[in-house]
Amino acid sequence: MGLFAELRDSVSRVTASLFADDSEPKRIGIYGPPNAGKTTLANRIARDWTGDAVGPESHIPHETRRARRKEDVEIKRNGKTVNIDIVDTPGVTTKVDYSEFLDHDMEKDEAVRRSREATEGVAEAMHWLREDVDGVIYVLDATEDPFTQVNTMLIGIIESRELPVLILANKTDLEDANIQRVSNAFPQHETIPLSALEGDNMDEVYEQIAKYFG
Amino acid sequence: MPHQCTNCGHVFEDGSKEMLSGCPDCGGNKFQYHPGEVPDEPAVDDAEQSEPPEPEGGSVTGAVGRAANRVRDAVSSGPPSTDAVSDEDEATDDGATVDTATGDDGATVDAATGEDSANATATSDDEDSANATATSDDEDAVPQSGGPTSSTADPDRAGSGAAPETEEVERADSGTDPAVDGVDTGDTATTADAADEAGVQASTADEEDGAQADARSEVVDMSSLPDRADDGRVVKEPDDSEDRPDIEDLRQELNDQFESIRIVAPGQYELNLMELYDRQEYIIALQEDGQYVIEVPDAWEAPDPTETE
Repeated sequence: MGLFAELRDSVSRVTASLFADDSEPKRIGIYGPPNAGKTTLANRIARDWTGDAVGPESHIPHETRRARRKEDVEIKRNGKTVNIDIVDTPGVTTKVDYSEFLDHDMEKDEAVRRSREATEGVAEAMHWLREDVDGVIYVLDATEDPFTQVNTMLIGIIESRELPVLILANKTDLEDANIQRVSNAFPQHETIPLSALEGDNMDEVYEQIAKYFG
Repeated sequence: MPHQCTNCGHVFEDGSKEMLSGCPDCGGNKFQYHPGEVPDEPAVDDAEQSEPPEPEGGSVTGAVGRAANRVRDAVSSGPPSTDAVSDEDEATDDGATVDTATGDDGATVDAATGEDSANATATSDDEDSANATATSDDEDAVPQSGGPTSSTADPDRAGSGAAPETEEVERADSGTDPAVDGVDTGDTATTADAADEAGVQASTADEEDGAQADARSEVVDMSSLPDRADDGRVVKEPDDSEDRPDIEDLRQELNDQFESIRIVAPGQYELNLMELYDRQEYIIALQEDGQYVIEVPDAWEAPDPTETE
């Protein structure tokens, strides 16, 4: 009995420290399809506010195959301070095919392995979305058509969970970028254009992060 | 069929939701997947056909056993189930002894019955082995039919599966040995005739139980699969064969309903995002050969994640 009581006390202590404290950083998941620039954005935010990077970026889809977290990123905006944990998630997709990696100078074995890891990554990202995020930054490649099954489904899930969501139309440094198309696709949400790579319009991004997730 | 608990070997149907809460037998939460198993089975069959005597014995006993059963049904057109039960009881009591004791007088009729039953089940493959069993028969019959039983006496089978298995073996005994049928009919000649009749009726008789009816409507290759699987790594409920007729349709249906990650080929996956999102457990690791490891959440409930404030 003593052991049980002790255990119960320690559990309730942990629970209290986890959930009762309002100053606990919000966990913000960076979601989006593969190659939208999620890791580039995560690195940009992390470097701007902590000096560290989150993970490697590349042009090859599914570079991020495990969710990576950067904890306690403190963003100061207009005298307000927001603490967030950034979770950079693997790109979400409905199909993973190793053959698409073969174009990137990859051996078949490695491509198959990457594909498997990417699939695990999607499963993990979806799991995190269900269990573990308090808000979502949804990153889209503004040069791509936003009307996809994945985007619609994920935004739908996020809406059904009533999570605060910011939609970022990334890659505005590219000529084909069409921000209007993105904001038309999800008119119910705030769409912010940016280039995570170049750092363009990051001020507005931080402002909106402070507003939405503060 | 394709899911198997890596701990105790319990097998789950493709799409079984049972395993989502862990293995009901041992509580294990690691499962492996045999994606090619069902489509590949005929090939596996052929390969195994030429291999050790045990699987052969299994299929022969199965084929002969079914024939014997048909004989029984044909002869006793009254209430077949009770007859069969009493038969089995007799067979259980004296199956082995009858076999060996009546070896001599059974031998000739034996061969005939064996052949008929092999033909009746409409396989070219088993005919030879059936003949072999039937002619070399009575001494062999015991170790042969005994073989599959002992080899398949897994922990899983011991409980529920043991009865059907031994039943089959006993029927096989009675099939290859008309003396047992003789106990019922009192006439071995009638039995032999009835066996022929039964062969004709093979595709129409419907008073048998589900597994046998199914086995008859199938080619023998398919119907002998449970035995083969038993000889391999996979333990299987006899009733599973009921799903086989439209296994592809069923699989497709279940995949649509349930599968969160579909392995199209090594390195090629289709993901059902809603399923991935909806499932409380998640897949931790996929492996090249179709095996995967999932995390099954147990007592811990996640806190309500919708609390954003």
